[in-house]
Amino acid sequence: MGFNIWAIENPENSLEWMVYLTDKYLNMFLEGTWLTLYIAVLGTLLGFVLGYVVGIIQDLKINQGDNFIKKILIKTLKIIASVYVEIFRDTPMIVQAMIIYYGIRQMGVNMTPIVAGIIVTVLNTGAYMAETVRGGIGSIDQGQREGAWAMGMSPMKTMLYIVLPQAFKNIIPEMANTFLTNLKMTSVLNVIAVQELFMAAKTVGGNYYKYFESYLVIAAIYFVLCFVFNKLFKLIEKRMKGKNDYTLAVEYMDNE
Amino acid sequence: MKETVIGIQDLSKSFGNHEVLRKIDMEIHAGEIICIVGSSGSGKSTLLRCINKLERQTAGKILYHGKEVRDSQREINEYRAKVGMVFQSFNLFNNMTVLKNCMICTRKVLHLSKEEAFDRAITHLKEVGMAPFIHAKPSQLSGGQKQRVAIARSLCMNPEVLLFDEPTSALDPEMVGEVLQVMKQLATTGLTMIIVTHEMAFAKDVSTRTIFMDRGYVAEDAAPSQLFTNPKNPRTREFLKRYLAG
Repeated sequence: MGFNIWAIENPENSLEWMVYLTDKYLNMFLEGTWLTLYIAVLGTLLGFVLGYVVGIIQDLKINQGDNFIKKILIKTLKIIASVYVEIFRDTPMIVQAMIIYYGIRQMGVNMTPIVAGIIVTVLNTGAYMAETVRGGIGSIDQGQREGAWAMGMSPMKTMLYIVLPQAFKNIIPEMANTFLTNLKMTSVLNVIAVQELFMAAKTVGGNYYKYFESYLVIAAIYFVLCFVFNKLFKLIEKRMKGKNDYTLAVEYMDNE
Repeated sequence: MKETVIGIQDLSKSFGNHEVLRKIDMEIHAGEIICIVGSSGSGKSTLLRCINKLERQTAGKILYHGKEVRDSQREINEYRAKVGMVFQSFNLFNNMTVLKNCMICTRKVLHLSKEEAFDRAITHLKEVGMAPFIHAKPSQLSGGQKQRVAIARSLCMNPEVLLFDEPTSALDPEMVGEVLQVMKQLATTGLTMIIVTHEMAFAKDVSTRTIFMDRGYVAEDAAPSQLFTNPKNPRTREFLKRYLAG
C-alpha cells in the first residue's frame, strides 16, 4: 500500500495526530503508564492493608471485664480511626495531595512527588476500604462468631479465621472497584508534578498545542488498562467461588 | 450427690426495662442431663446464653467448679473451651469444610497437632455418622446433617458440659429424629448436658432432671417422671396441657 502508519510526517487529521504524537513521545507515554500503574498498584495494596486494620479497629468491642488500660487503648484507637476515615472521605484527593506534599516539604522533609503520591493514594484508599471492610464484617451473620466464641476462640482469632475470610470474599468486587478508581485517580497527582499519564498528555499536548489528540491517546491507554484489570478480577472472583460439589469420603462409609 | 460443675447464683438479666431472667439459682452436677422447657419468651435460651457467657448477666454469678467466671476475655475463653454450645441455627463456619469445622478450634484454641485434631474430628464425626461428608461445605448439607456436624464439632473440644439451645427447632420434622438419636446416644456417655427444647417426649425420656421456666423464673425443677405426670406448679400443668392438646 505504501502507507506506513508509523511514518506520518505531516499529520493532517486528529487520527494522524494521535499516531504522530504516540510515535514521537512513545517513551513519555510508556513511562507515564508505568508510573500510573506503579502508584495505583502499590497505593491500592498498601491502602487495603491499612483499610483492613482500620476496619477491624472500628469493629472492636469494649469488653466490660477488660482492665482500664485496655479500655482506654481501644477507645483511643477507635477515635483515631473514625477521625481519619471522616477526614479522608470528606475531602477531595486532589486537595489531600497538595496539603500532604507541600505540608511535608514545609516541615523540611524532602520527599519526591512519587512518594507523596503513593502516600496520598494509600491514605485515601485506606479510608474507603475501612468502611468497605466494616460493612463486609457486618454482613457476616453473628452466629458465625458465636459458634467460634462458644468453643473458647478469642474474638481476635475469630475475626482472623472465621469472619475475615468470609468478609473478604464478599468485598472482592468492591476491592476491584477501588483499584480501578485508583488507577484513574492517579491522574490528579499531576498537581504535585508526578510524571504519570495525565502529566504526559499535558506535556505532549502543550508541545504542539494538540490537547484533544494527546488526551485521546491517554484515554485509550486508561481504557485498555481498566478493561484488562476488570477481566482479570472477574476471573479471580470466579476462581474464589470454588467447587459446587464434593466427594464422599468412602473410606468412612461403613461407619454410617 | 455428685460434684457441682456449674453453679448459677442469683442470676438476673434485663434487656433495657425488660426483665428476662429473675434471680435464678441453680446447681448443675456432673453427669446430669437437664432439659429446660417452657413457652417462648420465658428466658430459657437467655439462661443458656448467660451460662455460656454469650450474654452478660445484669446481676449474679456463674461459677465453674465453685470458682466465679469473671468477665475478663481470657477467663471467658478458658471457661468456654470446657463448656460448649450447640445452636438452633447450627453456626457452622461457612468458609470451611466439615473436617475444617471440626479441626479449627482444637488447632487454634487447644493447640493440638494436625494429626491429633484430625483423629479427634474423625472419631466424633463417626459418632454422629457424618464422617463420609468431611469434604462437604455446610451449604451442601441438610439441616439435620449440619446439626450433627455441629455436635461433633463441639465434642472435639472434649467439653465437660454441652449446652443445646433448641437444637431441633430449625429442622424439618423428618430430620428431628436423627439429631435426637445422636443426643440420646450422647446422654449415655456421661457427658453433662443442658438442653433447651420443645421436644417433650425427648425431655421426658432422656433427662435426669427437667426444669420448667416461666416469665424469667424457674417455676419447677423436678425429675421428669414427676414434672410430666404430676406437676406441682399450676403454670406447669397449664403449659403441659396446652402442649399435649396440640
